[in-house]
Amino acid sequence: MLLARRDLIVAKGRFLLMGLVVALIALLGVLLAGLSEGLVDDGTSGLDALPLTHMAFQRGAESTFSRSFLPADSVDKLRGDGVKATAPMGIALFNATQERPGKTGQVLDVALAGVERESFLAPKPTSGGPLSGSGPAPIVISEQLANEGVQIGDRLLFGLDATPLTVVGVADVGTYGHVPMAFTDLPTWQQVTPGATTPAGRGLVSVAALQLDSSSNAPQRLNRIEQRAGVEIVSKKAAFNGSPGYAAETTTMSLIRGFLLLISALVVASFFTVWTVQRRDQIGLLKAMGASDLYVLGDAMLQVLILLVASTLVGTIAGIVLGAFVPAEAPFSLALPAVMIAAGSLIAAGLVGSLVAVRRVTSVDPLIAIGGPR
Amino acid sequence: MNESSQRPQVVAVPVEGDSGALGPVDNLSNASPTSGTPALVLTRVGLRHSDGPEEIVALDEVDLRVAPGELVVIIGPSGSGKSSLLAVAGALLAPTSGTVEIAGIELSGLRRSELAAVRRDQLGFIFQSGGLFPSLTAVEQLLLTAELSGQRPALQRERAEELLRDLGLGSRLDHRPAQLSGGERQRVAIARALMGRPALLLADEPTASLNRARSAEMVELLAQQTHRHGAAAVLVTHDPDGLSHADRVLTLVDGRLTGAT
Repeated sequence: MLLARRDLIVAKGRFLLMGLVVALIALLGVLLAGLSEGLVDDGTSGLDALPLTHMAFQRGAESTFSRSFLPADSVDKLRGDGVKATAPMGIALFNATQERPGKTGQVLDVALAGVERESFLAPKPTSGGPLSGSGPAPIVISEQLANEGVQIGDRLLFGLDATPLTVVGVADVGTYGHVPMAFTDLPTWQQVTPGATTPAGRGLVSVAALQLDSSSNAPQRLNRIEQRAGVEIVSKKAAFNGSPGYAAETTTMSLIRGFLLLISALVVASFFTVWTVQRRDQIGLLKAMGASDLYVLGDAMLQVLILLVASTLVGTIAGIVLGAFVPAEAPFSLALPAVMIAAGSLIAAGLVGSLVAVRRVTSVDPLIAIGGPR
Repeated sequence: MNESSQRPQVVAVPVEGDSGALGPVDNLSNASPTSGTPALVLTRVGLRHSDGPEEIVALDEVDLRVAPGELVVIIGPSGSGKSSLLAVAGALLAPTSGTVEIAGIELSGLRRSELAAVRRDQLGFIFQSGGLFPSLTAVEQLLLTAELSGQRPALQRERAEELLRDLGLGSRLDHRPAQLSGGERQRVAIARALMGRPALLLADEPTASLNRARSAEMVELLAQQTHRHGAAAVLVTHDPDGLSHADRVLTLVDGRLTGAT
């Protein structure tokens, strides 16, 4: 493909300009991938960190945390059929007021989870103590809240009654719905959460966490458990959809990324359509000399591939470098697979777009080389 | 009916001391003319097309036989059918009647890819103003021909340079067309046409952009090279100058070829 390579060098101005456009699209793709990952991470890292495989929601709640309420004792009906462990969990978003002697309380957004003190869901603090063995109304906060100035020994006031919870530990518990998580025991959570106790005084939870062995993943067994307990069971990943804003955010980001790929395909297709028209005489000459359709197609596609791969690489590296300067507060997270998918998708979209443009090289009549029909 | 029974068998014209058949179409690239096989045979070739209600006769019952090493010049005024003749002889256009044989390979019924293989392996084209690729140097123009034949260009560099030196372009090997004069560009085109060791060279008005002295020199050069390399050549031109080096000169008027064919 001597001609393809030499044309790239001789027409370097045009190809550099086009490469710059593709590189900018790649850069944007990487930043969007980082933003998508960051948003997902920010919305669900707390759930993702929990040691569970499935979650049981109230039937009819459409697997949405804010709509689901289960009797705390309903978890007993979930045992058996390969369920290794189960534990109730409540979760709700609050504005809590920090209280410390000598300091005016700041108002903090907190995603408060209520779990049994001894359950497998209880957080493992990196400093301070666990929920078990603590005094009444304990709370283990996330490192993010600790970074906002909350310390062990502080009190956080929750609910309309300003119920005080005492900070006993700090753990790496992530976020839920873009809000830092904190854990308290179940009775305290039911006390501060509106609607978490029936008028008859029966305690409710949001969901039941399950640890299933692999054989229990079979749909029939899950159905049996659902029928027995009167719940809807979904996998941990599927449960992410039930966290606040998750579906809307991921759908929006996917749409933006999809449109970006579509735009890149159209941009590359437009460039190579014009380029192919400009090369028509040259292609006719090649074919008159005996070049096969496959050769002229390969010749054109080599240029596309070199342009796409080189400029995507440049744009991706620039995106990674730029991503390193995104402020820590922004929901931005770059993982290698996401970057690879963003770059790969751009190359694939560009190839598809350009294939539509360059396939016309096969229809060029070699007769134009001797002044035939143009 | 299957495809093989629909397609005509491609065979070489048997010659004395030759086994005859060149084999199936798939072996086109291996077909090479022997000393007795005509490089080009046109038999009662006609080419007609319509221009609105009018039928244009571009070629009318043209017969032509060109032997290896022979330089045939076809001269005719503008619109006489020279380009049509070259297109038909160059496997670029199928005649509406008659048959075309190049190095023993009959073209009728060949698929597009097979015609491309004939052009690649049996023909060398010299186009008006050279028809060179602007981005390639002189030596790369020749290496491209090698690449089209499936050869590694790097291995053919020595031969390409030798051909260019033979044509007096030793100091212009790495020059692009824009850096060459009109005469030099045409010499590169001749070298490129010879690079694939073709049975037949087809030259389309190669002297059109040259002055009278250069035109005569170009035809002489073409004659020398075709004789040296054993290839036949057909040159079409409207320019009557510099034809003394041709083995035969034929005239094309209104699609009819006159003179000894």
